[in-house]
Amino acid sequence: MAGRFTRRAALTVPLSLWSTRAFAFGDGGAFHPRLLRAGNNPPLGVRASGAGRWSWELVRRTSAPARLVASDVAADQPALQAEPFVIWAGETDPGPLSAAEVRGLTRFIRLGGVLVVDDTQPASGAFGRGAKRELSRVLPESAPVRLDPGHVLFKTFYIVDRPVGRVLGPPEISGIVRGKNTQVIFLEHDLLGALARSGEGFALETEPGGLEQREHAVRLAVNIAMYVLCSDYKDDQVHAPFLMRRRARQKP
Amino acid sequence: MTLAALALAEGVPPFTWFAVLALALVSLGFLGFELRKREGAGIWVLLSGVLSLLLVAAAVLRPARVNTRGVSVGAKVVVLVDESRRLLLPSEGKTRRELALRAADAVSKHFAGARVALRGFGAGELRPLVVSDALAHTNAAELSDESDFSGALNALAQEPGERPKAIVVVSDGRFSRPGATVEDAALRELSAALGAPIHTVAVSERAPRDASIRSIRSSGATVAHQALALTIEIGCGGGLGCGEVPVTARELRQGVEPFVLAQGVAKMTGETATVELSITLERAGARLVEVSIEPPEGDAIPENNTRILTFSVTRDRLRLLHVAGRPTYDVRALRMWLKSDESIDLIAFFILRTDEDNTETSEDSELALIPFPVDELFTEHLPSFDAVILQDIDAVTYKLSRHLPALANYVRGGGGLIMVGGPSAFAGGGYARSPLENVLPVELSGSGGQPFDTADFVPRYTEAGRSAPVLRGLTQLFADELPTFSGSNTLGAARANSITLWEHPDRRAGRGAMPVLALGESGDGRSIALGVDGTHALAFSEFADRAAGRAYGALWDGLVGWLMRDPRYEALRLELAGPCIAGLPASLRLVRLPGSTGDVSLQLTRLGPQRTPVLTKSVKDPAPGPLELELGALEVGGYSASARVGAAPPTRFDFACERGGPAWSDSRPDPERLARIAKLSGGRAVSVTQVTDLPVPDPIEVAAERSSVPLLPAWAWTLAASLALGGHWYARRRQGLL
Repeated sequence: MAGRFTRRAALTVPLSLWSTRAFAFGDGGAFHPRLLRAGNNPPLGVRASGAGRWSWELVRRTSAPARLVASDVAADQPALQAEPFVIWAGETDPGPLSAAEVRGLTRFIRLGGVLVVDDTQPASGAFGRGAKRELSRVLPESAPVRLDPGHVLFKTFYIVDRPVGRVLGPPEISGIVRGKNTQVIFLEHDLLGALARSGEGFALETEPGGLEQREHAVRLAVNIAMYVLCSDYKDDQVHAPFLMRRRARQKP
Repeated sequence: MTLAALALAEGVPPFTWFAVLALALVSLGFLGFELRKREGAGIWVLLSGVLSLLLVAAAVLRPARVNTRGVSVGAKVVVLVDESRRLLLPSEGKTRRELALRAADAVSKHFAGARVALRGFGAGELRPLVVSDALAHTNAAELSDESDFSGALNALAQEPGERPKAIVVVSDGRFSRPGATVEDAALRELSAALGAPIHTVAVSERAPRDASIRSIRSSGATVAHQALALTIEIGCGGGLGCGEVPVTARELRQGVEPFVLAQGVAKMTGETATVELSITLERAGARLVEVSIEPPEGDAIPENNTRILTFSVTRDRLRLLHVAGRPTYDVRALRMWLKSDESIDLIAFFILRTDEDNTETSEDSELALIPFPVDELFTEHLPSFDAVILQDIDAVTYKLSRHLPALANYVRGGGGLIMVGGPSAFAGGGYARSPLENVLPVELSGSGGQPFDTADFVPRYTEAGRSAPVLRGLTQLFADELPTFSGSNTLGAARANSITLWEHPDRRAGRGAMPVLALGESGDGRSIALGVDGTHALAFSEFADRAAGRAYGALWDGLVGWLMRDPRYEALRLELAGPCIAGLPASLRLVRLPGSTGDVSLQLTRLGPQRTPVLTKSVKDPAPGPLELELGALEVGGYSASARVGAAPPTRFDFACERGGPAWSDSRPDPERLARIAKLSGGRAVSVTQVTDLPVPDPIEVAAERSSVPLLPAWAWTLAASLALGGHWYARRRQGLL
C-alpha cells in the first residue's frame, strides 16, 4: 500500500539523517554499534570501520534496522546512557578507569545496557585482561563466567557452533550475567578486525584465513546484534523443538 | 388476687439466720448430752429448753406476716413471619406472602389474651411487622433472598427482657436455615435456647407445577482459560412431567450475541436431575453466565427457568501474545519488561527476516529461524490470550490482514489489544479501513496523507492523561515531562468511548490535537493505541537515567494493568447497593479513588448485541465520599455500567438482574420441615385455616402490692424468751443440773 515503510527504504536514507540526535521515524530504536572510549586506549584505526560494516551486514541479512555510520562515546559522558549497546575494543591494557568512567559504566550496566569487550590482539590478551580488571571495579559483585554452548547468543539468528573473528580464538565466549541477562560479552577473536573495511574490501586478513571464517565472524556479529535487539527471544519454548531438530540435522 | 405468707423481719441479714440456727443446734446437742442418762423428770428440762431456744430465736428473727396483691397478664407470644422473596410465589390465586400476612393477623386475633409481638425475618435481623401496612403495600426490594429461621431464633434469644412463652412461625417451610436434612438434635437445640414451644403455620402445602434450576454449583476457583465444571440441579415439581430438559450455559457479552459455552440434557428420573456442564471462560474479571432450561408445557413459574451468575474470573498468569514486525530497541525494551514480570506468560513472535534479506546461507538449517505461524496463532490460539500486542508489524506483508476480523471479534469478546507505533503500524501497516480499525481507540481512515511523520516532538499530556491512574506511576516520576520522540504515526480523532492521554503538540486530527496515546473500550474488550515507537527512551536514555529506568515499567504497568481491568488503574470502584431484582428499583454505589475529582457520569448498557444505552446519568461535581446512583427498575438480563469521573478513563462494572433469583429456585413448600420443628420443640403444626387450633399459653401473675406486719412486737418476743429461760433454769435446778 502507498506509503508503507520498507527496509530497503531505510538503506536509502541519506547518511546525514543518521546523526546521534535526529533519527527518522522508526530509526530511534535501530541497532547502533557505538565504540566506547575508556581508559587510555589509542584510537582503533581501521577497525573503527568495522562498526559500520556490522550495521550494514545486519540490515542486509535481517529485518533489523541499524544505523550505518557508527559513532563513539566516552564512558564518562551522559550520552553513554542514550542507547543500550556499546563496544569496547583495544589491543593494549586500557589502564585504570577514572572514577567518572566507572560511574558512567555502572549506570550503563544498571540501566540494562550490553557491553561487548573485543580484544583485537587476543594473542597477547593484554586488553582483555585489563578490561576484565577494570570491569571488576564497575561490577564487583559479578565475575565473568564461560557462556554455555547452548547460550542464546549462539542461536539468535544463525546457528553458530563456535565464535570466530579475524582470528580463530578460543572456542568459547565468557560474559558477565546479571539476573537472566548477559550484559558484558568478552570476545578474544578481534571481531571488529574481521568486519573492518578499507575501500571496497576488507581491511584485515583473517587468521588462519578463508572466506568461511570471515562469514562465520559476520554471523557472530549478527547474532550479537540480534541478542542486543531481542534479548533471549530464541530461548522461548516455542522455538525449542525447531532448533533441536536443526542442530540434529547439522551434526553428522 | 391476694396472697398471705409468713416471713422474717425485713432487714435481718442471711448470716444471722445461720448463726441462730447453729446456736440452737449446738444448744440442743448439749442439752441432749446432759440428759442422756436421766429418766422421768428430765422431760421438763428438755421441753423448757426447746421452748426457750424457739423464743430466743423468735426474739432475734422477729417473724412477720406478708400480704401480697397481684395481677394476671397475658403471656408473651412472638409471631415470626417469613419475609423472603420466595413468598412472592403464587399460591391459590394469591401470593404466599399475602397468605402469610393474613395468617399472622389471624394468629394475633387468636392470641388476643396474650401479648403478641409480630416480627419479620429474612437474612439478617428481625424487624417489626405491621400486618395492615404490609398487606396494603409490599416493598419487594426490602424482602430477602434468604429465609434464615435459625438466625431469627438466635436474634430472638439475644434480645434483652422477658422471654416469650410461645413462638409462632408463619412460612412455607423452605428455609435456607435450618436445612431440610438437619438432625433432630440440632432442631431441639435451636428451640431449647428460648425454652418455649414453636408452633408453625404452613402457608402452602401443595407444590406448584414447576420446572426450575434448583441449584448451580461450581468446584474450585474460576480461572481464565481453565475448564470449570458446573453442576446444575434441575427440579420438576407439582406433578409436571419433565422427561428430558435441555440445559444451556451462555456467556453474556457486550455488543455481541450471547456466546454458547456448553449445552446438555437433564434426564429426569424422579423429581430432580443433575447435569454437569464444562465451561471455559477466556477473560478475567466479572463475567456473567446465563444458565437456562427449556421447560415442558404447563410450567407455571417461568421466572426460575433462567439464572444469571456472576463469576469473578481470576488469572493463573497473564497470557500475552507479543508480535513485532522487526527487532528494535523498542521491541527489546518491551520484551525485557514483559519477561521480567513472573506473572506474565509471554508468547512472542518477531519477524527477523524478510523476503528481501540475503542471509548468505545455502540452506535454512544454518538459521535459527522458524516460520511465523500467523494462521495458527490468530485462529486456533487466539482465544487463549488475555491480550495481544502488535508492535510495528505490517498486516499485509505478514498475512495478518485475513485474521483482522477475528482479531476484532476477539477484542469485542473481551480480549485486550495494544498497537504500538512504528513505520509499519496503524495506517502504515495496512490497518486503515480494516475491521481492526473499528476496535482501536482512534480512527485511521480519515487520517489521510502520510502514514507517519518524522519530526521530533515531545507529546503533551491531556487533562485526562494528567488525572488518569493509568499514568500515575509515570507522572509521579516525571510530572508532565516526557522524552523527545523521533516521529509519530498518523492517527485520527479518538472514537466515542475512547480517551486521549497524550496528544501531539503540533499535528491535528479532526478539530483537535492528534492523539498519541489513547485508550478505548470496544464491546467487552479494551484497546490501546500508542502512536510512537520510542517509549524505550523511558527505559534507556539520558532521560530514563534520571529515574534509573523505572519510568518504562511505570508506563507499561499502567497500560497493561488498565487493559486487564486491574482495579489499581481505575478511577472508580462500582458495586450494586443491593441485589438487583428485575422490576424493582436498583442502585449503584460509586466509590471514587483518592485524587479522582470532577463530574461523575454513568452510562448503563444491556449486555448483548444492542448498543444503545438504557440509561445515562451525570452528577455535577459531587461531594467527596461514596455516591449512590438510582438505576430505576431494570428488566431481566445482564448489564454493563460504565462510569467516569472527571476526564479520567471510564470504569466498567457488569452485573445481572434476575426476576426470581435464588429465592425462587425451589418453589416447593416444605410443610414437613415445619411439622418437625413444631414436634421437636413441643409446639403444634397447623395450616393457615387451623390457626385457632394453636394452644394459648397461660397468663402470668405479676405482683403489684406487698405489706409486712410483725406477728408480735420485739419486746413481747424478748419478754417471752426471758420467762422461758427462767422456767428452764428452774427445771434444771430441780434436776440438779446447775
